Amino acid sequence: MKDNTVISLKNVSKTFKIKDRNDYTIRNTVANIFRSSNIHYIEALKNINLEIKEGDFFGIIGRNGSGKSTLLKVMSQVYQPNKGGCVDILGKYLKLTLGTGFDGELTAKENIYLNASLLGLTFKRIGNKFQEIIEFAELEEFVNSKVKYFSSGMYSRLAFAVAVHAEADIFLIDEFFGGVGDEKFRQKSDKVFRDSILKGKTVVFVSHDLNAIKENCNKVLLLNFGEPILIDTPEKVLKEYNRLLK
Amino acid sequence: MLKKFLNYIVKYLPENNKVERIWILSKSNFRKRYYGSSLGIIWALINPLFLLVIYYFIFNVIFLNEIENFILYMFSGFLIWMLFEEASKEGLNTITSNRYLIENIRIKKLDIYISGLLSKLFALIFNIFSYFLISLFFNIQYSANILFLPILISNLLILNLGISLIISIISVYLKDFNHFWDLFTLALFWLNPIFYSELILYQSYRIILYLNPVAGIIINTRNVLLNGVSPDFNLLAINFGQAIIILILGLIINKKHFPKVIEIL
Repeated sequence: MKDNTVISLKNVSKTFKIKDRNDYTIRNTVANIFRSSNIHYIEALKNINLEIKEGDFFGIIGRNGSGKSTLLKVMSQVYQPNKGGCVDILGKYLKLTLGTGFDGELTAKENIYLNASLLGLTFKRIGNKFQEIIEFAELEEFVNSKVKYFSSGMYSRLAFAVAVHAEADIFLIDEFFGGVGDEKFRQKSDKVFRDSILKGKTVVFVSHDLNAIKENCNKVLLLNFGEPILIDTPEKVLKEYNRLLK
Repeated sequence: MLKKFLNYIVKYLPENNKVERIWILSKSNFRKRYYGSSLGIIWALINPLFLLVIYYFIFNVIFLNEIENFILYMFSGFLIWMLFEEASKEGLNTITSNRYLIENIRIKKLDIYISGLLSKLFALIFNIFSYFLISLFFNIQYSANILFLPILISNLLILNLGISLIISIISVYLKDFNHFWDLFTLALFWLNPIFYSELILYQSYRIILYLNPVAGIIINTRNVLLNGVSPDFNLLAINFGQAIIILILGLIINKKHFPKVIEIL
């Protein structure tokens, strides 16, 4: 395995400020101008340091509300960490979550072009790969239908196909494979995952599916209430996680 | 036919991902707005023409007025106003309507704003086209001054980009800002010399010329498009200055607040 760090987090914490009162209108802001509001602070992530190397299949597990998805959002630079934290991600990434990523009003074809183009492919290259993507997703008949009419299975197959073929270097996967596609499609996607490690692609995988974690990951992070408990091989981390659950 | 025309343009653009990216973002934007409906793209043409007919009836038939070639006088002002209004509305919702992209892919924020503007520019090009068609029925002499038109339009685009950068942020912080913006644009609409003579502004309300950044662009567009004279360079300089100041402000505000806004989306 190569030794290039593609994602590095240093001293990353994330605190959310939540107001009791709903202030998000002009009316309320004016009406409540002299009243002070209760502000809660929620520490979603506490001082996380980690390095993910090129070709890693990095799993993140933890109980509900332990900050897994927030961590993924910090990695993808949707959320900015608190002051002092530093996030570096090298390469093109695509985040795969159920229910987001595509515009429902556009057709499958348009969405493929849009996403692949944003990932840095030229139209010509997308044109060459288009057939491959559609066949992989098994959506040949639905190329020109709007994505909003897709079932959730079709939707995630499409997202996965785009991710695989559009040459993203890093996949950020949030609970994506809870029953995506049938057995045949799963075999295909499993194969892609195995290949992706060989090709030096990096995967960050958030899941409750411990079997999938055990099978695929070479390193796992265990989070508990935003605190990193352990980063190690899947066997050790899963043992610790089971102890935590009891 | 339109599709062929667009593909034709694309074919001769150099293969450049950045250009393509903005192109496809604005194309999808445009499609979303017009293609879902049965009349499709025709709405982009019908909407302004319909409004023009109504306003023509009111301001020419009911209130008589003495402006020459009144329908073109209105239309030339209206072209600019439509772009401003549509683009600022688009700008208002930029963050919410592109959330699916912002959260899932690395994307330059500015690209989203620029593509939103470009999709409105397509609509403007249609409208300019129908303006020329209508002007064939009148005895209009075009002069070389028409070459100023792209400069005026880019002035408007810079202004709109700056405004979008700011109001898209505010509209997330304050959910009912959209209502305020509707009222604001309505007021601004009537402060522009679209139906009445621009001389009124020049003679009695000069201050509006300097405070309303759209009025000058409308007047100058009319100068170069309809009257065939050179633009009022004083106004042009002021408008450009305003647009650039707003753009710089917008860039600063957007850079600072965009990450915060995402969290409360």
